[in-house]
Amino acid sequence: MDQSEIDAIMGGGSGKGSGSKKHKGAQPAPKPPETTAPAPVPAPTPVATPPPASAKKDSEVSSSIPSVRVIGELGAVTAVTERETNKVMDKLDQISQLLDQQRILVTEMMGNESIQNPTIQSSVHQIMTACTEIQNKVYEAMDLMQFQDISRQKLERIMHHLRQIHDYILDLLGTGFQSQPAAKISLSNSIASTGTSPDENKTHADSVVDEFLRANKKG
Amino acid sequence: MKILVVDDSSTMRRIIINTLSRIGYTNVVEAEHGKAGLEKLAQGGVEMIITDWNMPEMDGLEFVGAVRGSDGSIPILMVTTNAAKEDIVSALQAGVNNYVVKPFTPETLKEKIESLLG
Ligand SMILES: [Mg+2]
Repeated sequence: MDQSEIDAIMGGGSGKGSGSKKHKGAQPAPKPPETTAPAPVPAPTPVATPPPASAKKDSEVSSSIPSVRVIGELGAVTAVTERETNKVMDKLDQISQLLDQQRILVTEMMGNESIQNPTIQSSVHQIMTACTEIQNKVYEAMDLMQFQDISRQKLERIMHHLRQIHDYILDLLGTGFQSQPAAKISLSNSIASTGTSPDENKTHADSVVDEFLRANKKG
Repeated sequence: MKILVVDDSSTMRRIIINTLSRIGYTNVVEAEHGKAGLEKLAQGGVEMIITDWNMPEMDGLEFVGAVRGSDGSIPILMVTTNAAKEDIVSALQAGVNNYVVKPFTPETLKEKIESLLG
């Protein structure tokens, strides 16, 4: 991924958020993250401000604010990594299909009377075993791509915090700007501690489910 | 057996659908959030749901609530990064039948699906 791709995804407009929120003086510190929060992508878009003369100026000022730019860039990173992960999965799918074709060929070959020689048969069996091993590795590689969803959610959480800090500071300064509330998206509260090892929370989740089901049966 | 897979991550939907295919379930429909999931359900024929929690438009918990409002028996498996005990309990109270925390192994997904269908 390079800057041109990020710029293309962002439509050339990172950090354009501006609003007409009035300054209310010093506000309490940002609330701790909630389960429901604004969606992160794309970058905040301009909100119409009542005085047209100042609208352009607002946008210019807001886009120069680093936090707004960073939120937009993070949104672009998540979109690009999802797209590129899908390309890797396309390649893995193609490898799977090629392996299937090879296995069909080898199976046909094994039935051929002209290659009933035990040495050749043994080699053919080894090829089949190798095909199966390669196929399993391909599946494992596909399953490991779950890291993309987890990384994306971690970035979404960071973007959510940045937005809160951004709005808080601007409110404090009395600039009248605010990042545009984006479409609703729920965020995981435990994403920061989520690792990339498959099934690392399985025992924990299973025990909570079992406990719940047992309690419900009794009740 | 027609299975509905709801997740906003296209990567995740693909991984789940691949796993389903490997264990013999190839009749799959997909949706990118709860709202789209309800539309797919309305088309009929779905016998099991695998849903994410954190999604735009309509999250997994709202989706499960909406499904349970009209269908108390369809098996629902939630597959999410939300690992906190209170989250798991909320999902179970909303009506999910079982729960898998991402990242998962295909064996775990298989085990949960088979236990729901068995
Ligand atoms: Mg999600």
